[in-house]
Amino acid sequence: MDTALDHAGEPPSRPAGHRGEAAFLLDASPQLAGSLNVRRIVLNALRLAVPVLGDRAVLALFDGRGVTLSACDTDGAPLPPVLVPRLAEDSALGRIRRAGRPELLHVVPGAGSADGFAGLLPDAGLRASMAGPGPAEVLGVGLTARGSTAGALIAVRGEGQGFTRADLALAEEFARHAAVTLDAARLYEERRHVATTLQASLRPPELPSVPGVRVAARYRTGQERLDIGGDFYDVHGGPGDISVVVGDVCGKGVEAAVLTGKARQTIKTAARFDRSPAAILAALNDVLYADRSDRFVTVACARLRPAPDGAGTLATIAVAGHPPPLVLRRDGTVEEPELAGTLAGVLPDLRYEEAAVLLEPGDAMLLYTDGVYEAHGRDGLFGQDRLRALLPGYAGASPETLCEIVEQRVMEHLDGRGHDDIALLAVRCGE
Amino acid sequence: MTTTTETAGLAFPRFERALAVGDAGEGVGVVDELLDRGVEPTVLLLDVISEAQRRIGERWQRGEWSVAQEHIATGVSVAATEAIARWVRRLPVTRGRIVVGCAEREWHSLPALVIATGLRERGWNVAYLGACTPASRLSAYLHDAGPDAVAVSCSVAWALPGTRQFVEAGTSAGIPVIAGGIALGADDTRARALGATAWAPGLREAADVVETLPAVVEPARPLGAEELAEQRGLELNHRTLVETLRRRWRPQDTFTEGTPEHSDIAVVVGDCAEQSLCALQGALLTGDGRLLGDTATWVRSVLSARRVPEARVTALATELGLLLRDYPRAAALLRAHWPGAA
Repeated sequence: MDTALDHAGEPPSRPAGHRGEAAFLLDASPQLAGSLNVRRIVLNALRLAVPVLGDRAVLALFDGRGVTLSACDTDGAPLPPVLVPRLAEDSALGRIRRAGRPELLHVVPGAGSADGFAGLLPDAGLRASMAGPGPAEVLGVGLTARGSTAGALIAVRGEGQGFTRADLALAEEFARHAAVTLDAARLYEERRHVATTLQASLRPPELPSVPGVRVAARYRTGQERLDIGGDFYDVHGGPGDISVVVGDVCGKGVEAAVLTGKARQTIKTAARFDRSPAAILAALNDVLYADRSDRFVTVACARLRPAPDGAGTLATIAVAGHPPPLVLRRDGTVEEPELAGTLAGVLPDLRYEEAAVLLEPGDAMLLYTDGVYEAHGRDGLFGQDRLRALLPGYAGASPETLCEIVEQRVMEHLDGRGHDDIALLAVRCGE
Repeated sequence: MTTTTETAGLAFPRFERALAVGDAGEGVGVVDELLDRGVEPTVLLLDVISEAQRRIGERWQRGEWSVAQEHIATGVSVAATEAIARWVRRLPVTRGRIVVGCAEREWHSLPALVIATGLRERGWNVAYLGACTPASRLSAYLHDAGPDAVAVSCSVAWALPGTRQFVEAGTSAGIPVIAGGIALGADDTRARALGATAWAPGLREAADVVETLPAVVEPARPLGAEELAEQRGLELNHRTLVETLRRRWRPQDTFTEGTPEHSDIAVVVGDCAEQSLCALQGALLTGDGRLLGDTATWVRSVLSARRVPEARVTALATELGLLLRDYPRAAALLRAHWPGAA
């Protein structure tokens, strides 16, 4: 069954007169600006250029000393880009790079003009597929934006359909639009690469698989476009002795994310020396306090080991300014261990208390941040009571399902309103 | 010699039992075993997982399962699908990049995960965004990754406005968008109205249609201004409208307050009110009045299964009509497509 929906209607033809040209540019401009991805902008520009500017088109992007050539086949499907590692300075394309001025050629196969064509389109395969066997008119215009020429648009027409001055002006105007968008996209890609590299260690981690328990987590940042924020979770340790952590640093966005990276690393390092949650939180507090910053962190930390008599898992828990984890028993009972502790980073020499909880097979434990209970919806805050009331129906559910249902209910409660970062981590004790 | 479909069929009851008891380990075990025995991932995705999910939906509709039970069982299906996803990730990438996800308000991520896994099996480089993805987040992703296509799955009418936003985010970047899922119905009407490049009712169709997509598409055309204004109005006032409807239309009063029947139906009534109003929004956006007819049928079957008398069921149409006094286009759609609405 052919399920493709055809919205294109009549293929666009070459514009007639000023009005047609203005309409073409008016239509093309938002389509060019619609993406900040270089590859997509190249595809958009190629599609818009044909057939208005030429029967076929190639987009050349200068890259160091070379050039990358992109084109589509006759069906509009993108051909693999061709990288020409070194562009001759005195070629037509080289001149466009240096001077940004247009180049117009009348190409007759076999004649001397073929050399000129090679200078404008330095790839034999592309020349063959663009111009065919007969004579052709070829126009190259620079993609110039903000004072530099980033590439060229090369348009090819059959013989007898040469480029008028109006055609040239239209091609140059189109190229200016494309160039501004491409310039922004290149800048965006460079910055994104820097940001992605720096972000890598701040992203929520992949969860390790741990024998005997199942762990799942969810993370939703308050700032939708970001992957990182001021909440964090982590799981570390080895078989038979793991730590699970959920925390929240003051502030939000990138600045907060930097502090979560530090908190996570400190917790992980502290756990290598002493896995007791109270010791980990005391070490975290010492390190953050020593920094003398006014920033603080709240954390819930649990250590999970097989119970001494072999049945179930023993959880040792400590908190720093954070609600204790909720324990969801297999029969649907919800418990909250009695436990308190001061948030980390503000006061010196804190000691933390621990509580021990025995998790039997089928029991689960949920760690969460204030993005859950402080989610502000039409009916007020989501609150701890709604959270506790929700859980009994999910006794025995997988930790993934537990996290998912809490996230879903909180988002439904918000009903499109803004929210703080939300982190959830659920552990279920295996059979 | 048995075919792989038969092999999968023989294991199906075991998989269903795993769903019923919420045993994710067993669900994953069944799938892993079938993969080891050479059953194709697509057969597992369609004949085991999607089929089991369909039956879960029916069990809830018949009143046999609670929402929590449905969630827990779906969790097992998700775990099993993730096991298939891990398996297909070993296959080489031979095609372009596709983003698969669900729009805002769509929490049924499993159909999207099934599509993502099936496309990955066929060599596509798939980025799976999961449930309830804001359009701004999709846009950021599209700028970053510049994929060849976006696939959006929509299971509930409530997510149709968000699905339209997905279409706008994709097509305004020139990227073709495939839309599918039960909320888009059984033909391409709704997908077309939302401006999607293609419609795919299931995995096999999505795999076929993705081969035929244009490299670049034009931005989706604007929706009809008046329909859009009414839909936005309904969306903005949704909570109030649902509450008003629940207050006026009380089919649970057939049963004595405090009885399990009464409280069960009170919950279901909330769903029926929600679904009806969402269907109206969807019908305004897509111009497809069948959304209303289908919702009316669904409400009837859900309430009949819970022994609500006929008069109480049909009262919903009247209450909806009263509610829509300020929404002439929605009211006209209701009269034309909701049986018994006047």
